[in-house]
Amino acid sequence: MIEVRSLLKDFTEEFIGRLLENFQVIAPVRRNGRVFYEMIANAHEADLEYTGRSQLPPKRFFLPEKEVLFTYEITTRDVFIYDRSEELEGLKRIFIGIRPCDIHSLKILDKIFFGKFNDPYYGLRRKNTLILGLTCNVALEYCFCVYMGSGPGIENGFDLLLTDLGDYYLVEIGSDKGRRLVYHNIDLFRSASPGDLEERRRILSKVESDMKKEPFPDLDRLYKAMLKNFEADMWNKYGESCLACGKCNFVCPTCICFDVYDDPNLDLKSGKRVRVWDSCHFISFTRVAGGLVFRKERPSRVKQRVYHKYCYSVDEIEMFSCVGCGRCIETCPANINIMEIAREVTGL
Amino acid sequence: MSNPYIPNIAVIQGVREETPDTRTFRLKLREGEFTFTPGQFIELSVLGYGEAPFSVTSSPLNREYFEITVRKVGILTSALFKLGKGAMVGVRGPFGRGWPIEEMKGMNVLMIGGGIGIAPLKPVIEYILANRKDYGEVILLYGARTPSDIVYKRELEEWKNTIDVHLTVDRGDEKWKGRVGVVTVLFDEIEVDPKETYSIQCGPPIMMHFVTKKLVELGFSGDRIFLSLERLMKCGMGFCGHCTVSGRYVCKEGPVFSYREIKNFIETAI
Repeated sequence: MIEVRSLLKDFTEEFIGRLLENFQVIAPVRRNGRVFYEMIANAHEADLEYTGRSQLPPKRFFLPEKEVLFTYEITTRDVFIYDRSEELEGLKRIFIGIRPCDIHSLKILDKIFFGKFNDPYYGLRRKNTLILGLTCNVALEYCFCVYMGSGPGIENGFDLLLTDLGDYYLVEIGSDKGRRLVYHNIDLFRSASPGDLEERRRILSKVESDMKKEPFPDLDRLYKAMLKNFEADMWNKYGESCLACGKCNFVCPTCICFDVYDDPNLDLKSGKRVRVWDSCHFISFTRVAGGLVFRKERPSRVKQRVYHKYCYSVDEIEMFSCVGCGRCIETCPANINIMEIAREVTGL
Repeated sequence: MSNPYIPNIAVIQGVREETPDTRTFRLKLREGEFTFTPGQFIELSVLGYGEAPFSVTSSPLNREYFEITVRKVGILTSALFKLGKGAMVGVRGPFGRGWPIEEMKGMNVLMIGGGIGIAPLKPVIEYILANRKDYGEVILLYGARTPSDIVYKRELEEWKNTIDVHLTVDRGDEKWKGRVGVVTVLFDEIEVDPKETYSIQCGPPIMMHFVTKKLVELGFSGDRIFLSLERLMKCGMGFCGHCTVSGRYVCKEGPVFSYREIKNFIETAI
């Protein structure tokens, strides 16, 4: 049984203000008409009225686009390495206004980073960040979360989940930590009525039916068709138009490939090891010592991303690593549309 | 929580020149013991230059030190070549799945190495030499570009006493009296029973492509052909994505794969 409350919109700023006293707060912020998830300093910066997707996915708050793994110092007799993940131990953050598809993307990243090996940089950030989600009430162009099973609503993976019901938010409690947040600020919350849940269902089914106006194949069919069509001609067409710019990777909430390099200081005796986001569309991505490149042709690199989303990750983590956020479609300068690819490969 | 990105410090105990561009570095961890399975690799850091993967080439039974054999081809290896005895480097690992040395016991072993690809085969040879009676007939086919590119010259002479060694070079010189040609030419010098033999190979993809074709022709089944794939293993843990082939992480699930596995890849591995 889900536990629900409601929060009057008049009180949200007060609530976020109180959160700011105890947490670093990440929230949707509007800049030049676009919405970004950002660290905020004041409650009024948060824009919980935004529709659809933020420009960039939440991953940068868990796997930053550039981060120092460790610093080092070489002396005449010794070498010292200072682990930078230790600084993340005391982190205390709350991510508010994050969409269900993006929450779903974090579940995918969890499967990867909490596997046989543990990535402490991701792990500490993830464990030390509460998730206060925001249900989608509008389907934007290119949204297809409903087909990927990652939205517009979400059942778990949050500490609290807000749904906009006009003058107030329905608040679902998803964890003990979420419950404590509500109880510590109980003066701001009211009890929810049975009609609120009904209203939430109505909103979600409206968003779902809007989204379903654009067709997308059944996932099982997609997976099987992908397996059969690795050598299909269609990939040459997409490879031909792809600019290999890597934007689709950078705006994708589940693309996590990274490069690692050393950045020495001018003294050449100290420096840092850095990881940065990388892209499977870059020709350097598979280059080994001696110069051999395994995915030299662009179609092979376009395929790599799409196959990772709809094939490889199913085998690897038993999840499709696409949440249907539509960001890659919105961003691609060559108008490559992953929904179109999925339809073409399945003959839909 | 221990951080798998933090290298352990190792001290270079010695450097041997194998060929003009290839050296073997003897390493010892400053703290703790290093153990590995033949076929596994380490991530070696030269601080300031980054990290790169190298096969461990010493005997897995040696607990005193371990070795890697490195060809100078890039920035990191050039920096490593400037380091000598006493210098400190970083080591992570070992990573990955090695050769099926236990499974091969009681069987013949056919090893095929091309160029620096002989490096991950060396610990298998060392292990077999130390446990000679556990294995049947053991054959090594090794191809190098030129006679001066042959690595492990001293070891090859020694190994000849115990196992069957066949060499070839792509281009000979005035002193070379052996075979000339790609490594597959050596197949006419040997007789193997595919039912009783495991084949393990490492070399450039083009070599492994033709060697595998040859082995299949000879009647080797997919689970008797093992290959070590070369890819850009950066993190070693299946995160960074550079080493994947057909969605499989060479760093974590390989680098050793059976041909039966590779055959089912939708993306070409060799």
